[in-house]
Amino acid sequence: MSGTTSEVPDAAGALGSRRRRSAWDRAARGSVPYWLILPVAVAMVAILAYPLYQLIVISFQKYGLFELIRHAGTWIGLANYSSILHDPVFWNTVVRTIVFTIVNVGLTMLFGTLIALLLVRISTVMRILLTAGLMLVWAMPVVVAVQVWYWMTNFENGVLNYALTKLGVGDFFHHDWYVTPTSQLGMVTSLIVWGAIPFIVVAVYAGLAQVPDELVDAAEVDGARPWQVFLDVTFPVLKPIFLILTSLSIIWDFGVFTQPFLLIGESHVSTSNYLMGIYLYEEGYAKSDFGRGAAISVLMLLMVAGLSFFYVRKMWRTEDVA
Amino acid sequence: MKVRIIVAAALAIGLAVAASSASGGTVGLKASKSITVWLQTDASSSPAWLALTAATNAQFQKDHPGVTVNVQYQTWGSHLQKFDATLAGGNTPDVIEMGNTEMTKYMAAGAFQDLTADKASFPNSSTWLAGLAASGKYNGKLYGVPYYAGSRLITYRTDQFKATGASTDPNSLAQLAAGMAKLNAKYGSKKGYSPMYIAGTDWYFALGFVYDYGGSIAQQISGKWKGTLESPKSLAGLAAYKAFFNVASRASKTTDEAHPNPYDVYAQGLAGSIEGPGWYSCCVGKQYTPVTSQFVMPSHTAGQVMPGFLGGSDLAVPIGADKALGEDWIRDYTGTTAEKAQQAMGNIPNTTSLFNPANVHEKAASRSWFVPTSKNWVNVENGNVLRTMLAQILTGKLSVKQAAQTADANITFTLNQ
Repeated sequence: MSGTTSEVPDAAGALGSRRRRSAWDRAARGSVPYWLILPVAVAMVAILAYPLYQLIVISFQKYGLFELIRHAGTWIGLANYSSILHDPVFWNTVVRTIVFTIVNVGLTMLFGTLIALLLVRISTVMRILLTAGLMLVWAMPVVVAVQVWYWMTNFENGVLNYALTKLGVGDFFHHDWYVTPTSQLGMVTSLIVWGAIPFIVVAVYAGLAQVPDELVDAAEVDGARPWQVFLDVTFPVLKPIFLILTSLSIIWDFGVFTQPFLLIGESHVSTSNYLMGIYLYEEGYAKSDFGRGAAISVLMLLMVAGLSFFYVRKMWRTEDVA
Repeated sequence: MKVRIIVAAALAIGLAVAASSASGGTVGLKASKSITVWLQTDASSSPAWLALTAATNAQFQKDHPGVTVNVQYQTWGSHLQKFDATLAGGNTPDVIEMGNTEMTKYMAAGAFQDLTADKASFPNSSTWLAGLAASGKYNGKLYGVPYYAGSRLITYRTDQFKATGASTDPNSLAQLAAGMAKLNAKYGSKKGYSPMYIAGTDWYFALGFVYDYGGSIAQQISGKWKGTLESPKSLAGLAAYKAFFNVASRASKTTDEAHPNPYDVYAQGLAGSIEGPGWYSCCVGKQYTPVTSQFVMPSHTAGQVMPGFLGGSDLAVPIGADKALGEDWIRDYTGTTAEKAQQAMGNIPNTTSLFNPANVHEKAASRSWFVPTSKNWVNVENGNVLRTMLAQILTGKLSVKQAAQTADANITFTLNQ
């Protein structure tokens, strides 16, 4: 009996223990994913979240060279934001950057799509050659590309002036391609579009493989013209890709810095040709006004976040479908 | 098992701590056994300059056995951003070369150590070139030791000037302009040829006209800065610059003096003369070196030279640096022997005691102008306010007066920030 009475509690205890272990195991198994992402989360906090926090803190401080040396800013509330939002240069730069972005993204998407459509129709040999050429463009470092562009458009002995003159387009000897802000940004646009096309071509070409041939054939049999086939059959299928590519291009072109800064040249950037990236650099770094620079960064971050909305929403929906 | 893990973790932490301590110790040791000197790439551009720096380092190391000198060459375009980063990180160089127009902003912010008490210990400090020495002082204290100044000269083709009868020692701006017309008449049919290649937005040259006519960039009135480029005298100078440019140069009206380098244009045979630093004569190409000489830019007033921009460099000891070692290195690098070497390279020495009136470089420095001594001046430079104004004037986008007024508004706003 004693043995029996002692066995029952033991059995109950063992059962309870098993249940606890089972619950513990379930909890442990459930926590595994969190442990696995912990290193990434820590790295993200260290690399992104903390600097972002510091950026926001500094944006509320007077933080110039004097404060930099003493490693201590002075809290001034919203003064940096107020001065930026009341600065006509800021608003002119915002408008200029938006127009610049629309033109650049529009041209990039247009030429990228046209070349992708061309790739479908040409022979394999030509397709390989064209793709190789595009890959070379993609592989060229931006700084090198800027230098090549500068040489080609050089006032003294640029090949562009030489070629246009020889082709009889006109007398382009000593033609200055950087004489006005519009022409300066026009040259930057040509460089950015040239460099961005390969990515668009590759992505759209990959998407074109998903367009059912029977739909295209059916449309053609029904008498649709090529542009009608594109608009009514191809485009709807590729719409998600176009949306994502456009969103990404907007984000990249809105914050572009390297190409305009190097091609226009540090000695020629001025309030009349600022883009947002250069405005941030000039106000924050060149003038050593790091507090104001941080505030501009935050405002740019908000603008880019707004522009990313469609991209994020699209990604979110894709995840839901999956 | 758990014990092993704990021991292993403890060992790892211990090793990490030991490693960080060791590396900290190494840094500390390095700081006491090595000094870092930031010079501009100009100092690495010629064998003579490299030899001067090497000799200075050798002398310094002889005086300080066991201390090494780490010379790092910086570019004008990026050295201030890098310096800012070292100020933030607390790892500033022990000696830094600063352009004389860059000094005020950093002196005002407290970026340099006060050298006032040791001034007398620097070689030739009683005869320092006044204009250059002024750029190293702020609120009566010495923060920068004059290093060298650069003369600005006209480098010209002796064969072309002789063939056309253009004066090789013009007495006035009008006489020089007449010479330019002669060169243009004889060689102007060559595509791209400039009697004098002048980069349109070279404000160092253009503003010489403003000061020559009695004008200025900005003036401080009751503690407030005011742009003065729209004053009648300044406008006369800017108009004279435009007129001279149109006679003499076919360079781009919007380019700067580094795109392309004027001496490259000269070396291609596309310029009868070029304006710029005296050392330009070094780089005119083998073909033209034997037929190259220099004269001083003349004033519009006969018999005078045009005020030239007194560009130059100072050497400073940043905060957090080893002041004693930094000062000693500067003493060696700005001693009489070193400054004679600077003079031999075509630069203006930091001391008037070495001046030779017959030397064309020092003749050029006899009339000079300097930028407004505001801590925010460097922001005017970085904002390209003057370059934009010159491009607007030369391209005709704005009248001289309109461009000057726009620039004045910018300058007044920036200097008073």
